[in-house]
Amino acid sequence: MKTRSITLHVNGEARAVTVPVHHTLLEVLRDDLGQTETKYGCGTGECGACTVLIDGKTVLSCLTLAATVDGAQITTASGLESNGELHPIQQAFVDEAAVQCGYCTPGLVIKTAGLLAKNPSPSEEEIRKGLEGNICRCTGYVKVVKAVQRAAETLRAAG
Amino acid sequence: MSEHKTIGKNVPKVDIRKKVTGQAQYAADLYFPGMYYGKIVRCMDHAHARVKRLDFSAAQKMPGVVRIIGPDDVTDKPYNTGVLDLMVPKDMGEILGDIEDQHIFTRHVKHQGDAICAVIARTEAAAEQAAAAIVVDYEPLPAYMTAAASAAPDAEQFTPQKPGNRAFQLPAAMFPGNEMAWGDVDAAFAEADFVVEDSFYVPKQKQAQMEPHAYIARYEDDGRLVCWTSTQMPKLVQNKLARLFGLPMSRVKLNQTVIGGGFGTKLGMVGEPETCAMAMAVPGHYVKVLYTREEDWLTSESRHPGDYWMKIGFKNDGTPLAIDARFVNYKGGYYTHGSGTAFTTGGWLAGMYKVGALRYRGESYYTNQVPSGAFRGYGNPQTNFVLEQLIDRACAKLGIDPVEWRIKWHKDVGDDGWCAGVPYLTCALTECLERGAEAIGWKEKRAKYAKQTGPIRRGLGVSVMNHTSGAMPMLLEHTVCTVKLNEDASVEVLVACSDMGQGSHTALQQIAAETLGLPFECIHMKTNDSDDTGFDIGAHASRTVYVGGRAVMAACEDVNNQLRERACVHFERMQIKVSPEDLEVADGQVRIKDNPEKAIDVAEIASVGIYNFVNPQTGEANGVPGQIQGYASYLPSHNSPPFGACFIEVEVDTETGEVRVIESVNTHDIGCAIHPDSVEGQMDGGLQQGLGNVLTEEIYYDENGLCLNSSFTDYKMFGPSDMPKSQNILIEEPDPEGPFGAKSVGEAGAVTPIGATANAIFDAIGIQFTHGPITPEKILKKIKEEGLTF
Repeated sequence: MKTRSITLHVNGEARAVTVPVHHTLLEVLRDDLGQTETKYGCGTGECGACTVLIDGKTVLSCLTLAATVDGAQITTASGLESNGELHPIQQAFVDEAAVQCGYCTPGLVIKTAGLLAKNPSPSEEEIRKGLEGNICRCTGYVKVVKAVQRAAETLRAAG
Repeated sequence: MSEHKTIGKNVPKVDIRKKVTGQAQYAADLYFPGMYYGKIVRCMDHAHARVKRLDFSAAQKMPGVVRIIGPDDVTDKPYNTGVLDLMVPKDMGEILGDIEDQHIFTRHVKHQGDAICAVIARTEAAAEQAAAAIVVDYEPLPAYMTAAASAAPDAEQFTPQKPGNRAFQLPAAMFPGNEMAWGDVDAAFAEADFVVEDSFYVPKQKQAQMEPHAYIARYEDDGRLVCWTSTQMPKLVQNKLARLFGLPMSRVKLNQTVIGGGFGTKLGMVGEPETCAMAMAVPGHYVKVLYTREEDWLTSESRHPGDYWMKIGFKNDGTPLAIDARFVNYKGGYYTHGSGTAFTTGGWLAGMYKVGALRYRGESYYTNQVPSGAFRGYGNPQTNFVLEQLIDRACAKLGIDPVEWRIKWHKDVGDDGWCAGVPYLTCALTECLERGAEAIGWKEKRAKYAKQTGPIRRGLGVSVMNHTSGAMPMLLEHTVCTVKLNEDASVEVLVACSDMGQGSHTALQQIAAETLGLPFECIHMKTNDSDDTGFDIGAHASRTVYVGGRAVMAACEDVNNQLRERACVHFERMQIKVSPEDLEVADGQVRIKDNPEKAIDVAEIASVGIYNFVNPQTGEANGVPGQIQGYASYLPSHNSPPFGACFIEVEVDTETGEVRVIESVNTHDIGCAIHPDSVEGQMDGGLQQGLGNVLTEEIYYDENGLCLNSSFTDYKMFGPSDMPKSQNILIEEPDPEGPFGAKSVGEAGAVTPIGATANAIFDAIGIQFTHGPITPEKILKKIKEEGLTF
C-alpha cells in the first residue's frame, strides 16, 4: 500500500499525517485528525455533508484524495468560530432556527461561507442555486435560505 | 399565551450551538481505543433466495480480520425490528397476528440487502475487503414485487406463520368482517345520486434522513452490553436487545447518540442486533458498524406502498353518503410494522369527514422489497392522495367549491377521530381552511385560471387532514420523568424522550422552566442514557411534546407540591401561618398568592434540604431535610388530534409534463405553539417530504427485485431550487389535554401537501393521476392518451 506524508492546514493549524494514497480527505479528516464535524452522508459526492473549504473554495472532501491536497488550507465548520464567538454565518443559522437534526449543518454552513465569499449580495434565487448539492431533509430549506440572507446582511454590514 | 415566560417564545434551541459548530456527536463520530470495525455481509444480487453455502475460509485469512460470524455463531431467536409489538398487550398482539420473523443473520433472503453474516476487523478497510471475500452460494427464488404476485396460490411462502403471504388484515375479533366500518355502506350507495371510484397506487418512499445508520457496541462477559445508537425508541430497543440476547435489562445499556434525522426509519431497531452480536463475539472490544448510504437505502424500512381503492357516494347537493375503501399494501420482506399502517390508513380516513357509512379494509402482503415500516404520516399520506382527489373529483362534477365542501363536511368537536370512541376535543379546521384560502388567494386565482389558455397551465388545490398526538388508546402511551432540584435551584430533568431534530428537547425544557417558574437556562435535559431515565415509548405518533410534555409537567408539579409543603414550615418560622393551597411557585420563589411580597427562594428551600444542619445545642434543623426530586409516570387519557389544511399552486407545462410548485400555504391547528420556529420547521420539512411523495420520490426495483435508485442522484427529492414560496399559518385554539394546550405537528406537515398538489394539477389541466408519484412522464402519457390539447 502506497502512502504519502502530507501536511494539511486544518482551521489554521498545521497537521502532519502519513496517508494511504487512496484515502479521501473526508476519511483523513475524521479518522486520522479527529475532525468529525465534517460528515459522511453518502460518500459519492451527492449530498454535500462532507463539504469543506480548500483555499477558500467549497470542495467535496469525500471525492478528494487527501494525498493530492498536501499543503492546502482547509476550513471546516468548527474552524469558523473564533475565540468562542460564532461566525456570523453560524449565528445566523442559530437566530433563524435553521437547524433541526443538524447532520447537514456543518456542510451547509461551509457551503454558505463559500457562496458568500464569491457573491456577498446574492438574490434569493442565487442562494437557492448556490446551496444545490447540499441536501437537507429536515428544514425544507426554508429557514436555511433565511439564515443565508441574514448572514449576508450581517457580513455586508461588518464590511 | 402572552402571560407565559417561555412558552410561545423562540428561545435558542438547546442543541443548536453544538450543531452549527460541528460539536454534536453522532454515532459515527465516536472513536474508542482499540475499536474494531464490523461489516455486515449482505445479499446484493438476489431479492429472494436461500443460502446454500457459506464459506469464510478465504476471508478469514485476510489481514486485519479478527472474527467472522454467521447464523451458527449467534442466537437464532427471532425478533421484530419494529417496536409496535411492545405497545400492545400480549392477547391483543395475538389477535392482531403480530409475529417475529427476523433473525440476525438469515438463511432465507427476503429482500436485497438481507444480512447473511458479518466480519469484525481492525480497520474499516480490512472489514470491507474481507466481506468481499466471503463466498455465499444462493439458490434464487422467484421475486414477488406486488401483493397480487405474492398472494398467488403457488407463491413461495415467506414464513409458515403467514399462509398465503398475507402479513396482516384487520382482525375480525376487533373489526367484524375484517372491516373498520359504521353504517350500512351498501344501502347508502343505493341512495347515492352519483359515485366516484378509482384504484390508486401509492409509492414506496424513503425517509432519506441525512445521517446514515451507524452503531457502536461493547460487551463484557461479566458486565454489560452497551450500545450506542441513534434509535428513536431507546427504551423499547433496550428491552428488545435484552430479550434477544437473553440478558436482564439491567445488563443492557443504551446510549442514544444525537439523531441525524429519523422520520420513522429508526422507529425500532435497524442494525443494533447485528452490531451487538458482533460485540458479543469479541468481548471487551468496541465494535463500530457504519452503514454506507446504499446500505441505508436497501435495508432500512420505507413507507408502505400499495394498491388503494376507494369509492365515495354523494347526493347531488354534495352530501357524502358512503365511503368504501381497501388498502392492500406491500409489506416488503419482513413483518416489522405489520399491524400498524394498514390500520391507521383507515383510521385517518374514518376521522376526516361526516359520512353516513364507511367501510375500510386494510391488508398487507409480503413482497421481496425492503420492509415497509414507519414513515412520517404513517398511512395518512396514502389516504390523503386518494381521499382528497376523489373529493375534488366529486366537487368538480357537482360544481361545488372544494374549500366550501370541506368546511361543510369535515368532522368536528364531538365526532370520533381516527380511533372509534375517542371524540375530538378541539378542531380549528374551518379557520385553517378560511385563513389558508384567503392567504393564497383561492377564489381570485381559481377564477382567473379557469379562463387560462396555452400550454402553460396553473392551478390551485386544497387538502385537509386529521392526525394524532400520541397513539393511545390503540397503543401504549407512557412517559416517566424525574426532576432533580439542585441546591442552587438549577434542575436536571431526566426523561428518555428523543429529539430527532424536531426540537422536542427544547420544547420540553421550556415546559419544565414554565412549570417550575425557573429560568430556561438553568434547566438541563438529561435524555440519552438508559441508566438515568425511566420508561418512555420513544419518538413516534407525534407524541413527544404532547405526552412527554405532560410527563415533564407532572414531575415538575410534584417538585412544586413539595416546595409548597416545605415553604409552609419555613413561613411558620417567620410566624406566618399558611397552607400549601395558599402558595404559588413562580420566578424562583414560593410566595403567598394573596401577598406575593412574602416569599421564600426556591434555592433556600432546596439548599437547606440538602445541606441540612442540626444545631447541636438546640437540636433544631435549619430546614426541612431531604433533597427534592419530582417524579411522574404519566399515561395520557387522550390523543388530541390536530387538523390542518394545505393550499398549493402549481404550474404545469403540458409540453414537457413538468410541474413547478409555485406557492404553498400550510395551515395547522396546533393548539399552542410552544416553540413557534420549531413548529414551522416541522411544517417546512414536511412540505419538502410531501411534495416529494406526490411528485418525485419512489424506490424503483427491476423485475428481479433489485433496487434501481439507491442513491441521491436517482432518488429525486426536492432541493432548494425546487421548493415553492411558502407560508405557514398556525391557529392556536388551546386543547384541554395538551401541555399548555399544545397538539402535535411532527407528522402533519408531510400529509396535506400531497392531496393539495394532486388537486392543484387537476385544477390546472383537468386530469387526475391515480399512480403516485405524478412524474412528467405520467403527465405527458396521460395528455397523449386522452388526446388533450392546451
